[in-house]
Amino acid sequence: MSCCGLLRRAVAARPCRALVACAVRPRRLSTGRPSRAFAKELFLGRIEKKEVFPFPEVSQDELNEINQFVGPIEKFFTEEVDSQKIDQEGKIPKETLEKLKRLGLFGMQVPEEYGGLGLSNTMYARLGEIVSLDGSIAVTLAAHQAIGLKGLILAGTEEQKAKYLPKLASGEHIAAFCLTEPASGSDAASIQARAVLSEDKKYYLLSGSKVWITNGGLAHIFTVFAKTTVVDSDSSVKDKITAFIVERDFGGVTNGKPEDKLGICGSNTCEVHFENTRVPVENVLGEVGGGFKVAMNILNSGRFSMGSAVAGMLKKLIEMTAEYACTRKQFNRNLSEFGLIQEKFALMAQKAYVMESMAYLTAGMLDQPGFPDCSVEAAMVKVFSSEGAWQCVSEALQILGGTGYMKGYPYERMLRDSRILLIFEGTNEILRMYIALTGLQHAGRILTARIKGPWAFCSELKRGNVTTVLETIGRRLRDSLGRTVDLGLTGKLGAVHPSVADSARKLEENVYYFGRTVETLLLRFGKTIVEEQMVLKRVANILINLYGMTAVLSRASRSMRVGLRNHDHEVLLANIFCTEAYSQNLFTLSQLDKYSPENLDEQIKKVSQQVLERRAYICAHPLDQTS
Amino acid sequence: MVVRDLEALRATWRRPASRGSWLGFRGHPCGCPTERGMSWAQAILLARGLSRGWGGICGAALTGAPFSQLPPQSPRGLHCSSATHNSDSSLVPRPPEPLRKPAKALAPHEELFRQAPDGARDKASFVRAVQNFGQHNVHKRGHVDFIYLALRKMREYGVERDLAVYHLLLDVFPKEVFRPRSVFQKIFIHYPRQQECGIAVLEQMENHGLMPNKETEFLLIQIFGRKSYPMLKMVRMQLWFSRFKNINPFPVPRDLPQDPVDLARLGLRHMEPDLSARVTVYQGLGAASFHPYSSLQMPSSKDSIGTADPTEPHIVGIQSPDQQAALARHNPARPIFVEGPFSLWLRNKCVYYHILRADLLPPEEREVEEIPEEWNLYYPMQLDLDYGRSGWDDYQFDINEVEEGPIFAMCMAGAHDQATLAKWIQGLQETNPALAQIPVVFRLAASSGELLASSGLEEPSPPPPEEQEEEEDDPQRQQRGQS
Repeated sequence: MSCCGLLRRAVAARPCRALVACAVRPRRLSTGRPSRAFAKELFLGRIEKKEVFPFPEVSQDELNEINQFVGPIEKFFTEEVDSQKIDQEGKIPKETLEKLKRLGLFGMQVPEEYGGLGLSNTMYARLGEIVSLDGSIAVTLAAHQAIGLKGLILAGTEEQKAKYLPKLASGEHIAAFCLTEPASGSDAASIQARAVLSEDKKYYLLSGSKVWITNGGLAHIFTVFAKTTVVDSDSSVKDKITAFIVERDFGGVTNGKPEDKLGICGSNTCEVHFENTRVPVENVLGEVGGGFKVAMNILNSGRFSMGSAVAGMLKKLIEMTAEYACTRKQFNRNLSEFGLIQEKFALMAQKAYVMESMAYLTAGMLDQPGFPDCSVEAAMVKVFSSEGAWQCVSEALQILGGTGYMKGYPYERMLRDSRILLIFEGTNEILRMYIALTGLQHAGRILTARIKGPWAFCSELKRGNVTTVLETIGRRLRDSLGRTVDLGLTGKLGAVHPSVADSARKLEENVYYFGRTVETLLLRFGKTIVEEQMVLKRVANILINLYGMTAVLSRASRSMRVGLRNHDHEVLLANIFCTEAYSQNLFTLSQLDKYSPENLDEQIKKVSQQVLERRAYICAHPLDQTS
Repeated sequence: MVVRDLEALRATWRRPASRGSWLGFRGHPCGCPTERGMSWAQAILLARGLSRGWGGICGAALTGAPFSQLPPQSPRGLHCSSATHNSDSSLVPRPPEPLRKPAKALAPHEELFRQAPDGARDKASFVRAVQNFGQHNVHKRGHVDFIYLALRKMREYGVERDLAVYHLLLDVFPKEVFRPRSVFQKIFIHYPRQQECGIAVLEQMENHGLMPNKETEFLLIQIFGRKSYPMLKMVRMQLWFSRFKNINPFPVPRDLPQDPVDLARLGLRHMEPDLSARVTVYQGLGAASFHPYSSLQMPSSKDSIGTADPTEPHIVGIQSPDQQAALARHNPARPIFVEGPFSLWLRNKCVYYHILRADLLPPEEREVEEIPEEWNLYYPMQLDLDYGRSGWDDYQFDINEVEEGPIFAMCMAGAHDQATLAKWIQGLQETNPALAQIPVVFRLAASSGELLASSGLEEPSPPPPEEQEEEEDDPQRQQRGQS
């Protein structure tokens, strides 16, 4: 109880800066809205130094505040939460939920005026590190506030906020996000749920079924997406998606029994059915027919926090496995003395370091005034951290050997829990498409003049735009002469510290040639690049690496300059990651070259085509004979 | 469009099948329209070329007709065969044609095959006959004639696919006698008649797709020695059999089902490339829908007919979900056509099928598939750029695409009259309600010819044939098929 009081006081002391960051962010889909976003500029072969250097910091006051939060929550999670029990019983005990509510964890990003903690993105990420110590609780909380009530914060009216947010922030009501249907995953056009306006135009009758709804059984407030008939400006009738806030008390809301899942067993996932639920027109979220954008904004906004959450989990995992490796003896030596075990710890530390850097860099960018659009960055953090989580937990199990496989230890649960990270909030495959296509759209716009081929030169010349032409020609010439790339990161008073200058040069080189490759790809495929998913995946992979490199360089430079504890260790990690990512990028770039021997796309396509045509593995058995 | 391609393919197909029996898979009708079908046809042509080259070698070395009725023309001492190039057709060794020549005079050793007391014609009695020859003829006089005779008789006894029986026949040859012993004997054909006979045995094995094994090799070495034509033949069989055994990507089972409904099911599945397609028995032995993967017995549309009059012809249809969807989208103002019968060869059986198709939409009526604005929640489905694929990566320019109208369903029926096919359409309506609004035109050819468009039939078309089973080498039938 006392710690809760402390929290409230701490909150009250904060300036309500986060409020601004949480306000509605109108964003249009895939349009090149002018933004200074860092990732998009990478597609042009540029580094927007201002965005990422120096590494974002919080003020001393804010830091103290965060630490005030962190202490009691960490204590609660390590001492009171029994993850094994939650996993076995398939639900979070009432007391635990109550305690979470009292700690204020159900309203972390709800503005203070509505009774939430009103945390900035950075602070939200910091708390996520601790909450993620139990996968089920983390997912329950995320479904509640990262997507469940996010719609209200992003697109709700004042009345809606005042009516629902206080109770949601206190955890009295739990929220759920109802988008997925049996026939509709990411395909919004196939949503079947339907809302029909009543004759008196006072309420909608909502009918439909939603599947795999996290918190579906616990929730009182649902953000539901359903098709409505909308009359367009040109008086044509269309079916469009609308978002609704639905209370369970509206009637006709039922849910199935909780699904049995591989991991995150303590979270409640079930089907939710709506049958002629009467939803008042005041409960339309955003505009009627504007549900698609609401859904997109909600989905895009919540992803960055996975980075810090996974990093928190990994830090704990490193502690546990290191303890084991340093005590377990084989051949009279500790496991920790074997090179192959050491390698795994280096990998885990490196991944944790990179995803932490990426997450806090993104959070810091999001906290800057002016509603920056960091959805690409957030998606990159999600992809990198979820894959890192899976890889690291798997490596940890290797260190532990049989122990890791046993149900009596927490490791197998962590493995099961971490598998979902690659799937939910948009599968990593889909997010890679998003990352690549958003960037290519941006680059394609800006490069239009250059890409339209050599003939474009003539038209440019005619228009008297000599500088563009000369610039292009000059760059081509310099490229062919083998230039050293300098984008201004290093050198005297450069953005990065000299101890990581080598890595910075690698980043610069990668960025520069990435820009060239993007230009070539656009020249080759134009807008049909949407169909080239294998190319897009590679583009996204490079971009994720570039962003990771930038984040660690920025963070390590800051640590060196500020003189943080163990900054030499950070430099080591940063250099390792940058070197690895650099050669990975070079390889991927060469795969993107049409005629390079590394580019196996044609063969890969052929194999999959033959397999899928027969819907089976078609090779003869190795023991088969022709006679 | 599936079926049209298929027709063209089948035309290329039949030619090697009719004569190039040397590899043993005769006349597998091809079931798929894609380019891989094309390459398969090319492979067969290639095989034919190879066979011709091989025949050239053999023909050069051996006399044209490898039959025992011919007296050895060459003087024994020289071992020189009358190696004359006959016409191309005779270069490919023909299989022994059973029952082609009515036995005017009783062939020698015929009595050995007539003395089965219980009249049973099976492997045991065949083996007994062969053994009897060995016992009666200690000196193996006339063994060549006997082997030719036995080869002809094999099919009667149903042992033509039994490798052990061939070994038994080879074992009839006296050992070591025909092995060349000097360089000159090796150069010139040593005992040509016997070698020919040995080749004839191997050839019949080949025709039935039997791969020689170690024992064959051992016998041949014992009989003819390593440097002999039967050995050469065997080595070549071993080489090419292994190359070509699995060259057909659409294998037909060796023993076709006897039940016409099962046969129709097989044929339809053979032609339909979509594995999700569903075979439905509209009328037949038991009217039940049949799903190939789940073996799910769907409630039938025609339960009442299930036990109906057994004389009614069966109707078996196939339709894939995509075809069903295409039919549902079809503009009811445009008629659709039932066309057929088209023939399909499954090994030595010919079955006939009908298709339900529509004409290709004129370009101005085609709907352009547009990408809805709000479709994908996660990433843009199209980029807002005003330039497309460049010439470097545009591979569309040199592909000659011929578009054909859509095909909505296929069926095989026991009778090819309109009444039967109307029942098929009725059955289709159960799963395709849209069909009720679309006018259906029956364009049934009286012939079993291939395409309606290419009516280059010279012969007067025969009446629509019922399920036909025929001998493998019916030249007339095959010619009709080819035309």
